[in-house]
Amino acid sequence: MAQTYRKQQLSLLLASCTGAFLSTAAFAGQEIQQGAATQGTAAPTPAVSQDMLSGADGDSNNFLHTNGNYAQTRFYPAKQINTDNVSKMHVAWIFQTDVKESLETTPIVVDGVMYVTTSFSHVYALNAKTGEMYWHYKHKMGPITTFCCGPNNRGVAIADDKVFLATLDAKLVALDAKTGSLLWEAQVGDPELGYSETMAPTVVNGKVLIGTNGGEYGIRGFVKAFDAKTGKLAWQFDTIPENSVGVWATHDATGRDMLRDIKAEKAALAKLGDPYKTLGGGVWQNPAVDLKSNRIFFVVGNPSPDLDGSIRPGDNLYTDSLVSLDLDSGKYACHFQYIAHDVWDLDAVSPPILVDVKDKDGKVVPGVIHGGKTGHIYVHNRNDCSLIRFSDAMVPQENMWVLPTKEGARMLPGANGGVEWSPMTVNPDLGFAYAINLHQPMTYHVESTPYPGGKLWLGGAFKVIPSEKQAGNVTAVDYNTGKIAWQVDTPQPMIGGIMATAGGLVFTGEGNGWFRAYNAKDGKVLWSFQAGAGVNAPPASYSIDGKQYVVVAAGGNVQLDYKRGNNIIAFTTD
Amino acid sequence: MPPLNIPRLSIMLMTLVAAFVQASAAQAEAIEEKAAICSTCHGEKGVPIDKVTPIIWGQMEGYIYLQLRDFKSGARANDLMQAVVADLTKDDLKALAAYFAAKPWPDLQQPSASKDVAAAALALNTSVGCTGCHLGDYQGDSTVPRLAGQQHEYMDKTINEFRDRTRANNPGMSDLMIASPPDGLKAMSAYLAGLQILGSTGHGSR
Repeated sequence: MAQTYRKQQLSLLLASCTGAFLSTAAFAGQEIQQGAATQGTAAPTPAVSQDMLSGADGDSNNFLHTNGNYAQTRFYPAKQINTDNVSKMHVAWIFQTDVKESLETTPIVVDGVMYVTTSFSHVYALNAKTGEMYWHYKHKMGPITTFCCGPNNRGVAIADDKVFLATLDAKLVALDAKTGSLLWEAQVGDPELGYSETMAPTVVNGKVLIGTNGGEYGIRGFVKAFDAKTGKLAWQFDTIPENSVGVWATHDATGRDMLRDIKAEKAALAKLGDPYKTLGGGVWQNPAVDLKSNRIFFVVGNPSPDLDGSIRPGDNLYTDSLVSLDLDSGKYACHFQYIAHDVWDLDAVSPPILVDVKDKDGKVVPGVIHGGKTGHIYVHNRNDCSLIRFSDAMVPQENMWVLPTKEGARMLPGANGGVEWSPMTVNPDLGFAYAINLHQPMTYHVESTPYPGGKLWLGGAFKVIPSEKQAGNVTAVDYNTGKIAWQVDTPQPMIGGIMATAGGLVFTGEGNGWFRAYNAKDGKVLWSFQAGAGVNAPPASYSIDGKQYVVVAAGGNVQLDYKRGNNIIAFTTD
Repeated sequence: MPPLNIPRLSIMLMTLVAAFVQASAAQAEAIEEKAAICSTCHGEKGVPIDKVTPIIWGQMEGYIYLQLRDFKSGARANDLMQAVVADLTKDDLKALAAYFAAKPWPDLQQPSASKDVAAAALALNTSVGCTGCHLGDYQGDSTVPRLAGQQHEYMDKTINEFRDRTRANNPGMSDLMIASPPDGLKAMSAYLAGLQILGSTGHGSR
């Protein structure tokens, strides 16, 4: 102990001296390590093997991935807490973070240690049984961050003895899972140009996969793979190809006419050229990993500027699309575009789920499903990304696809969805996908300005119509038919996430502080808890010493201005 | 590997430390000097001389840097500010931003908005989502400015300049303001001017 302390002192001294001549980065790193070391105690060292990560779908003790497993089903296999006893569920412990701002974190749990994140990219390691803190990592934030929709963070990824975090100033960092000290950091994008990170990374086969935000700032989106040991870039896939024009699609995935003026777009293309360099295409959420085919599946966000299509002619590939890549090389495998040349920001954000589905002939095939801001769940064939079916609309749709105007054109859904970034879940036994939805009537306004160099670039505005009622819902969809199985209305638009369990339950929270358990079969509310702040984060579950827990963050939400808080709350039954 | 020569090492360390301290002192002095001119308009204690001049003491570091950068490039048109920053390097701009961001935000004692005005401001926020970027209590963060307690007349002037696009370095803000009713914006500036700084949200202890 003492020896460690002396070593740290000397290295700190050296770092502060040489820092003046070299760079401040080393000094900053030491500060963080020092901070982490003084603020807690070492956590038990995890050893998360690839086998553990690959087998997470059958692991009733840990919660190893932001969306539960590589298929991203968020279907937790434990059933100790079930439809019979969930009414007795009660608080096991509450942990209060230092940051009272939007919580979107999914707790990751390994061998009784929980890792949670907060807004502004803090990380905490907690004792998952008692809620006591082991360590707290405070990221040394750069002076420039450019982010849309809140300083959120959706959690860490874990592999071996390392915790991976993507930060608001567009860095990827690796921490020692035992102490929280910084092992390496890599710059993922330039914050001055509008890049930022709020998603949790995904780790697989020694690679850390990460997308980027920035579709509201004229970035050129990507998914990058970094070496988990060194932080070196392994590959990069640009979500916007140099030829982004596509096939001049006139109808969306559901067959509705998008009212494009193809002639005007072709004239703009001849005049302006391909807009790929500033076309947006962020990737907000984790890719699903198909270990069998060695491919990943993710969705790409809106084109920049959001509402003004006049200066970005073409289909704007691969915005608003499901995209699949080869995991080893990052090479393109297939894609499917939901909305070509989107001018409503009704893009693709919620993470895709891999699940076997019935195709049009009733044959079971490897499928991939995505919940859209349009309010449809799209069901694809995993082999070629082709669309098998789309679900009934889960929210009211009106006036689609009216074009935005200067004065504002009313259309439903509003620009937040449908399904926002909130991950869905499935119960494969029932064949249901569960989504949480928003209903926010809006007007769509267009303005045209050239690329502003990394500044907010909406090309207009989306405005909530104050006189119209907003609402939300929890919806179960039979993904083999596309029919809605059940739907429960909520008083406010829903954002955060949802989790199904083998106990026949579905858990999700609301902006008004209610966290509820539903019967997965029929949507009956079986249990409720008032958290005192918006429950707008995806729930997780784990077991310690034979006892199952459910955990969720209650921190409210910036985007919908739900009451902020700073609590991580774990529940259990006796 | 030979054993460490401790006395020699400590002399080296002391020299390095001395150089470091001198360098930072010189740097700080240089920034003080460069910042001196700013107080002519923005005020000695952070209270601007003129009603249409913004508070920069305690403003967000990233935001100040971007504005200085944009004055220099001309993206934000202002003859006076362009002349002030003309000879400054990118590092100077960053240092100035850090310098002013570290100062305390002054309290201008502007009156709190009436209930009706506050309600109108809230309705505007519900409609266009100001707090989606300016965050709860309008405290701002990084490249997004703090608005709570900013000079009332400066905000009114800025709103007009965004609306007619004479303030051209953030077209997204212009778009949002053009889509907003003038009455709502007027209520918003009055509300923001009188808003208390709560400091209850944000980064946590740093």
